[in-house]
Amino acid sequence: MSRRDYLFRKLVLAIVTLCVVVTIDFFLFRVLPGDPVRAVIGRNVRITAETQAALREQFGLDKPVFPDQFFNTIGQWLQGNLGVSWSLRRPVGEVLMSKLGNTLLLISLGQIFSIVLGISLGLFAGWKRKTRIDVSALTFSLVAWATPTFWLGIILLAAGSTWLGLPTGGSVEPANVGKPIWEVLPDVARHLILPTLTFTIVYLGEYMLIMRSSVLEVLSEDYILTAKAKGLSQWQVLRRHALKNAMLPIVTLVALNLGFTVSGAIYIETVFSYDGLGKLFQSALEKQDFPLLQGAFLLLAVSVIVANLIADLLYTYLDPRVRET
Amino acid sequence: MTRRLSVRPVWFAVSVLVVLSLLLTACATPATTPTTPSTGEPAAPPAPTAPPEPAVLTFGWLGKPDTLNPAYAFLTESYIIFDLIFSPLLTENSSGKYAGGLAESWTHSDDGLTWTFKLYDNIKWHDGTPLTAEDVAWSINAVIENPDGWAALSGYVGGFKAASAPDAKTVQIDLESPIGNMEYRVSFLYALPRKDFESFATPEDLQNFANDRAIGTGAFKLNRFDKDQGVLILDANPDYFRGRPKIDQVIFRTFDNEDAMVQALKVGDVDAVIEVPSTAFETVKGFENVKVVQQPSRSLSQLIINSAPADHEPTPTRNPALEDPQVRLAIAHAINKQDLVEIVLQGLGKPGDSIIPPTLGGGFWYNPNLNDVPFDLAKANDILEKAGYVKGTDGVRAKGDVKLDFRLQYPSDSDTAPRVADLLTGWFKEAGIKVSPQSTDPDSLTAACCPTADYDLMLWGWGSDPDPDFMLSVLTSEQFVDGGWSDSGYSNPKYDELYKAQQVAVDPAERQKIVWEMQKIAFDDRPYIVYWYADTLEAYRTDRFKNFIESPIVQIEGVESLLQVEPVR
Repeated sequence: MSRRDYLFRKLVLAIVTLCVVVTIDFFLFRVLPGDPVRAVIGRNVRITAETQAALREQFGLDKPVFPDQFFNTIGQWLQGNLGVSWSLRRPVGEVLMSKLGNTLLLISLGQIFSIVLGISLGLFAGWKRKTRIDVSALTFSLVAWATPTFWLGIILLAAGSTWLGLPTGGSVEPANVGKPIWEVLPDVARHLILPTLTFTIVYLGEYMLIMRSSVLEVLSEDYILTAKAKGLSQWQVLRRHALKNAMLPIVTLVALNLGFTVSGAIYIETVFSYDGLGKLFQSALEKQDFPLLQGAFLLLAVSVIVANLIADLLYTYLDPRVRET
Repeated sequence: MTRRLSVRPVWFAVSVLVVLSLLLTACATPATTPTTPSTGEPAAPPAPTAPPEPAVLTFGWLGKPDTLNPAYAFLTESYIIFDLIFSPLLTENSSGKYAGGLAESWTHSDDGLTWTFKLYDNIKWHDGTPLTAEDVAWSINAVIENPDGWAALSGYVGGFKAASAPDAKTVQIDLESPIGNMEYRVSFLYALPRKDFESFATPEDLQNFANDRAIGTGAFKLNRFDKDQGVLILDANPDYFRGRPKIDQVIFRTFDNEDAMVQALKVGDVDAVIEVPSTAFETVKGFENVKVVQQPSRSLSQLIINSAPADHEPTPTRNPALEDPQVRLAIAHAINKQDLVEIVLQGLGKPGDSIIPPTLGGGFWYNPNLNDVPFDLAKANDILEKAGYVKGTDGVRAKGDVKLDFRLQYPSDSDTAPRVADLLTGWFKEAGIKVSPQSTDPDSLTAACCPTADYDLMLWGWGSDPDPDFMLSVLTSEQFVDGGWSDSGYSNPKYDELYKAQQVAVDPAERQKIVWEMQKIAFDDRPYIVYWYADTLEAYRTDRFKNFIESPIVQIEGVESLLQVEPVR
């Protein structure tokens, strides 16, 4: 099969997946117990039954979920309109974009660090198998992987703010709120240190463990023996022959992790009072803000699916066998 | 392909280097660049010749205002900010008396139907234009004329006919009938700029207005409110009619995590904390240069017993045993309020009995003669035995088919309720009453109670207004409607009648008598078993600011307090 066919098939599959996810999400939110109108207004609000009815009508909740609400939503989306958030009374697209920057910064920094460190550590541990280095790296990774994000965040926050004078929360100092990011870059970076560190430690363990076992497997292959026999140095063997093959599971993991990192970001954002997507998702769920929830999950689904597409694409480069099957 | 792949590590290395250098500059810069009014770190002692740094007082809190539009604001946080940026006619001072807000003096006619307020001189809006009595009258009339739009304030103008401005310094309010708590009522009616609020066609349009550039006449001007970032910045108003505050800026920072907030106080990232979690109180007490402020509050926590009338629509789905006053009495005997306070609140509060907290009006409204039911499990067992509830083999009492087996729900956002529910379950079990505690999210809880009456027992709480009217209204039958305040469904014509009577009782002593009687009725009928009044716990750094007011009525962030706070130089 040619690469084009392969990619075309993957693309179709991605679109089908997206449709299924979106449909399931739509109905999933609507079976949640509770009343979105009450949730949006809050408890301590004295409003008349008529006003509530008017809100219900405004939100389209007076119509049956299927087919009216469902097709209305899909119809809106096809026109590129994600609707208006009920609780924030702002367009969903705008709300999501306003939070995306912060979260993207946190997630991408955290991912880059954890991937680079995790892979290096895993490679090194696999290479120095059964030495003290391997055992320490393995122990560290297992502990890091098993540590609850929330707890680690609190500990790092307490330590970092006490000994290093790092900020206890927020994405910038209050005085810098609202300024363009490039003007306050040092401040932004200062606020990112602890969240990123937390993120890195939590995800590093997993990458390290996968990389280590993958390296071990690869190192036992015949072609490694051949490479050694050719007289290549250990470094050359690792870099030219082992690394490339051992990377395959990591690519899959990174793509898969993208969805989980956003949910992991909820904890980190909460500990560090960091204004991002994770917290937005949480509040949208609490308030049963369906348009916002749907928009958020659409964004999440699209990013995971796109990440998987990219992973598939990378595979065709990394592993020629994929193209041939 | 090998070439492509070999490129990647280089790219990775470069990006990592870029990021690292970025982070390193970040670590280095704050030390070298004298950044803007450093709100976080404790300020370095200024050089003797340098002009004084602006005094920026930073508060940490766990919430944030829902909106800066008083028409539709419901969270306490909003009202804390309103008091700082807007001014009502009168305001409550630290002794619980009403003092001048915008009004320097006030009188009412002998029939109590006309109230006249004389305004202070030289009151200016934050944009520099002078405030007139006309502006104040317009703000009050807006609420009277459009109660649907001004949903959050409409309760305060009940019985108001109209406001007018006989001259530029006088505001007059005409009433339909005399009102006993007029001073409290006007303390929530802020003067608001007509040009910002008059253009809305429908109540919804008015309510959707965020008022993010709020203009008022208060001691502080709004500089910025970024709801997403949880940052609200106020600047001192140099033209404030009662004198400029001694500090230059106040910042409110929202923390999503209480441990982080406590840590911020410890390292000086914030100068004061509005709500110290009770579990962290002892720790905060031990911090260097931090003073804790523990004061009785206006809040109460209660066990709610489903008291909806049997003919309520829809039919209450409660255990019928709860209709039996003897069962209610036994439940009251099986609650050790002292233990709840000691164990769950760590002693930071007082056992409760009345729906009116003892702090209202300096204790004037609280009925001290309720004679609370003592904790006595033997008595509880005895009462149930006599009422015909016999212990079954499983230790749970029953009378015929009616088994004393109750659902006990509590809001999932409460940190104390799970422990209270746990303790109650143990005591109730010894009395032969089985309860199944269940954490429920607040919205579902609202859906279950109000006004569906689909529950047995609930744990919940209230924050009371300074005047008893609000707390009393919660138990009236007219509030048990969709969107009303009542959660118990309690309905007692006598109580409802008294509620109306206290609203028009102008003589405080007469009103007090009625208010006391209502507390007694509510206590005896037990729609609520009030178990504690938790204290307010606040804390501030003594090395940064001094002269906070520490009182049960005016909190450290109240406008009276912030007018006298000054930096430690």
